Amino acid sequence: MDAALLEQMLLGALLALSVFLPLRCGQLSLATPGFYAVGGYVAALLSTDVPAFAGSGATSPLAALLAEMVLGGSLAGLIALAIGGPVLRLRGIYLAIATIALVEILRVLNLNLPFTGGAMGIFGIPQPFEHAGGYVLFTLGLLAVACWLCQRLEAVRLGRAMAAIRDDELAAASVGIDTPRTKLIAFVASAVLAGVTGALAAHFFNSWNARAGSFDASITTLAFVVFGGSRFWPGPVLGGLVLTALPELLRPVGDLRLILFGAVILLGPLFFPQGLVTAERLRGLAALLGRVRQAPQAP
Amino acid sequence: MSASPGGITPAPAPLMQVEAISCRFGGLLALDQVSLELAEGEIFGLIGPNGAGKTTLFNVISGLTTPSGGRCLWRGVPTTGLGACGLNRLGIARTFQNLRLFESLSVRENVLVGLHHAARAPLLGALLGNGVFRRHQGRLEARAMELLALLELEALADQRAADLPYGDRRRLEIARALATAPKLLLLDEPAAGMNPAEKEDLRQLIGRIRDHFALTVLIIEHHVPLMIRLCDRLAVLNFGRRIALGSPAEVRRDPRVIEAYLGGQASVAGEGQ
Repeated sequence: MDAALLEQMLLGALLALSVFLPLRCGQLSLATPGFYAVGGYVAALLSTDVPAFAGSGATSPLAALLAEMVLGGSLAGLIALAIGGPVLRLRGIYLAIATIALVEILRVLNLNLPFTGGAMGIFGIPQPFEHAGGYVLFTLGLLAVACWLCQRLEAVRLGRAMAAIRDDELAAASVGIDTPRTKLIAFVASAVLAGVTGALAAHFFNSWNARAGSFDASITTLAFVVFGGSRFWPGPVLGGLVLTALPELLRPVGDLRLILFGAVILLGPLFFPQGLVTAERLRGLAALLGRVRQAPQAP
Repeated sequence: MSASPGGITPAPAPLMQVEAISCRFGGLLALDQVSLELAEGEIFGLIGPNGAGKTTLFNVISGLTTPSGGRCLWRGVPTTGLGACGLNRLGIARTFQNLRLFESLSVRENVLVGLHHAARAPLLGALLGNGVFRRHQGRLEARAMELLALLELEALADQRAADLPYGDRRRLEIARALATAPKLLLLDEPAAGMNPAEKEDLRQLIGRIRDHFALTVLIIEHHVPLMIRLCDRLAVLNFGRRIALGSPAEVRRDPRVIEAYLGGQASVAGEGQ
């Protein structure tokens, strides 16, 4: 497996976590690719137009990348904050449709704004890392932080409130949880993560255009979570890694690969309706690991 | 503000006043100018035939339904527009007729969600799980276990709510409501589906938690003998109107109640004596 594919898999896992965050709060938002595109454009524009971010020649300083990720994440978060109030009044499939519309609006804006390069987009984005391996290490770090935050969410007040809303929004409100606010936090966190990921991805792909945030991408990122499991963060991470790799790994079978890819997406939920990662399987795995660890100590 | 130091105190505002609440759903007038007052510390029963508007009144008081007319006052202050979350923070907690637990969470977590208001911790400490946060978390867990012990659920703390038998689910919902530290507890048919022995346990439990938490309790229940023994006062609803209000003895003698609710079988009301 080459480093470039590994990097795409890691980016897929990050996007899957971005879809997972609102879903953990019961909100089916498909807006992730829209925020991903916004983050990417921030990085692309800054590093090609602003000398301070561009660095010298083909490489750009790591500090510039970090600053772009912060700015890209912030802009995505601000957009989510601005529209989240009215949009999150919608539930279920209506919310999904509204967020698809948002992705479309952002895509058309990105195509037509005077500074985003039209259909060609922006290219020649400088590289902070010389090799794909550098991206992999950096993205692995980012993914680790995101996973750690998702893990901590299980133990804190906000995470419990989100789970309560997922199970029963009305009951959550009647035990004193500010449900609109909690849902907004989840939505904004999802947008920030997608924006940060986009800023990183724009450098990695070297060019950025409106196709980064399309309806197709909404469905693909949703498939990551459906396939991997929407209950615990390892589910989306696994789904993002596997489903990003699959089309590439299936390349040897030629034209059949997209059919096989579709079959996996279809059969996954059919045989694992809760996704691959469920509470029971996590517990089973933990028990197994515990036994392996204890085995050498046995007399 | 309930008492001033002088000898003559103005009568304090009742804990909850329901003022001429009407509720219309399309062509159906579910509540028609219903008024009642809850004094602090009493157990107030709401009875009436199916479809009389009892649960609708609960939904109005707890902020899940906006009334078409009238208003509720909490210690004399209108609660209009507060919503379910705001009313809970004011001190109103409820259970649901058709049980609305957080099914995928454990029994303990259900109660911890109820302790949401008390769980605020500094963000950074919570993320890092530092000592301050862990101690805070420990206190919350202890509080949750206390409540579970009170409702005899502590042995089930780690079970998923969805896996509990029916009676335990009812009590878990009460524990979750109590966790929000209410002043007023609304119980919507807590004895539904219980046998006589369980109903008697429930009656004692409600009395116990009223004393323990200095609660005011508003309760909907169909089982009249239970209500007559449990409640300090009763109101009777029929077709959205309040047709009687008073002590259990008064209500039981009221001819309109006998007519509307007991269908002429007056002897039923005396069963529990």
